[in-house]
Amino acid sequence: MFKHKKVLISLCISAYLAISAFQISNIQRTFFKPEIPSNFPPPVYELKANPLTEEGIELGRTLFYDPILSSDGSTSCGSCHQQFAAFAHQDHPMSHGVDNQFGRRNALPLFNLLFSKTFFWDGGVHSLDFSPLNALENEVELNEQLDNVLKKLNDSEEYRDKFKKAFGVSEITSKVFLQSLTQFMATLVSANSRYDKFIRNEGGLLTAEEKEGLELFEQKCSSCHATGLFTDGSFRNNGVPNNYRFDKGREEITLNASDRGKYKVPSLRNIEFTAPYMHDGSISSLEKVLDHYTSGVEQSATLDPLLKQNNQPGLAITDPEKKKIIAFLMTLSDREFITDKRFSEPELFLNTPKPNEKNHSHTNNR
Amino acid sequence: MSKSMKFQVLLCCSVFLFCGFSRYEKPKNTEGTVILKFNNLFNKEALDFEKAYTNAHGEKVKFTLLNYFISNIKLTKEDGSTYAVPQDSSYFLVKQSDPASKEITLNHIPSGKYSALTFTIGVDSLRNTMGIGSRTGALDVGATAKGMYWVWNSGYIFFKLEGTSPAAPEKQKNVFNYHIGGFGGYRSKTMNNIKTRTLAFKPVVVSNRKGPVIDINVEIDHFFDQVNPIKIAEKSSVMWGEFSTKISENYVSIFNLGNVSSK
Repeated sequence: MFKHKKVLISLCISAYLAISAFQISNIQRTFFKPEIPSNFPPPVYELKANPLTEEGIELGRTLFYDPILSSDGSTSCGSCHQQFAAFAHQDHPMSHGVDNQFGRRNALPLFNLLFSKTFFWDGGVHSLDFSPLNALENEVELNEQLDNVLKKLNDSEEYRDKFKKAFGVSEITSKVFLQSLTQFMATLVSANSRYDKFIRNEGGLLTAEEKEGLELFEQKCSSCHATGLFTDGSFRNNGVPNNYRFDKGREEITLNASDRGKYKVPSLRNIEFTAPYMHDGSISSLEKVLDHYTSGVEQSATLDPLLKQNNQPGLAITDPEKKKIIAFLMTLSDREFITDKRFSEPELFLNTPKPNEKNHSHTNNR
Repeated sequence: MSKSMKFQVLLCCSVFLFCGFSRYEKPKNTEGTVILKFNNLFNKEALDFEKAYTNAHGEKVKFTLLNYFISNIKLTKEDGSTYAVPQDSSYFLVKQSDPASKEITLNHIPSGKYSALTFTIGVDSLRNTMGIGSRTGALDVGATAKGMYWVWNSGYIFFKLEGTSPAAPEKQKNVFNYHIGGFGGYRSKTMNNIKTRTLAFKPVVVSNRKGPVIDINVEIDHFFDQVNPIKIAEKSSVMWGEFSTKISENYVSIFNLGNVSSK
């Protein structure tokens, strides 16, 4: 009898374990298929390796806006990547992270990242999964260490629960942490500007001036800002004055002097919202950007050949042409994207005070 | 207990037991183990972070950190055929501060007589470009591989040596640091410091009985003078830059064969 009891107990234990293992592997997840706009190239990111789910995306959004990712709890991804600025940092030539320290380059907007081959101005990161680490561990940005973030998240019952629901794991590892941030960032697709609706025949109309601007754009700008994504993803020196003492651009990654002062061609989508412009945020308006291309391009050994005409740096664009190009660029604004509630700060963070926003002084900005 | 629940419990039990049984593998007669022991040495003695040393250039040094990746391990049989350890279980991070990490046990090595060992010091290019899902174990940048990854210039640091020396600048608190990586680049070609080392030895038998132990002596004293002179006074901090290639040329040749014992 005693022997039977022992067998029964061990059977019960194994049954319990089996059932709980079954439950963990059988969590309910809703898969999400991102819509690929018909006027876009195919995605670069391998979604098969990290299938998007509603739960994973929602968790990624929470992490994106949670200052728990910074060393002093002051700064989140969303602090410098603001939705109303198409996830760039409005009015900030350089962004400030913890202790109000400044970076040296302008925060890039975040959208259409699924289609990007490289990340950051110098292209130093080549997988979307790893792109958050750069900001996370940069001492003038979030100034944190990945293992410490994981510890903080694992200490939170709420996060453990969310990760279990999204990934079926009981421990939060770098894999699922970065995959959830990727999942949210992957959904940041901006493809519903008036231009898109015009080009896809979805009822979007361009005025005569905007159409002329589009034609001029195709002649003068699209060899780098290729339509579709409005960047060809290449690295070029566009003649923004740079003495290379503090920033050598792409050369810092390739260690090749022929890459000196080259930066990734940024997308021009949502350009209306992402001022200031250029890798150093040194140009405050689109008018001045076009003035740069006609009269401000600095000659250098690595200046892009497309920015030279008759051996003279700069492009030939008349003032009325500039006006038309700017009119066209305004049609690249995707207001649905910058107001889409799915991308906004979750309510749970809205009422918490943000020390960084309270204290920072704009006079520090150059 | 309802009938369906009883059934469920029974089903689960049998599944569970079945899983348990099927996971149990008898050791096959056709395979065995090989143990690799990495001995970090200075002047032929075990490296000690507490001790002060003098390098070949007369510079006084104390070390505070020594980590390196060993990966893509291959064993060559007497007849020239090779066995590559399956890639997913072929990444190891050896840390001077963690004695357990210095002993690597390779399981499921086909029986036979082996006479050479080949390994990479660092992490191959392909793995450096994979998504986060393929960066587990020794490659987990949020755990084991903390501090062994460049976040701004994606890629693993292959070999990391840090310490203090009066020869290092005072404004740098006399600290020297060598962080060497570089897998060749993904979208553009960049520096490639991946180094492979092959060590040959008198044939040893791998069988189901007891695995041979292969000692690999890592002669840190020769880090400074093996191929290229590395003077702390001249280069006290080398990370992502041209000079790192000279350092990788040095460290690849400080991995030398020690004892090979059949037990």
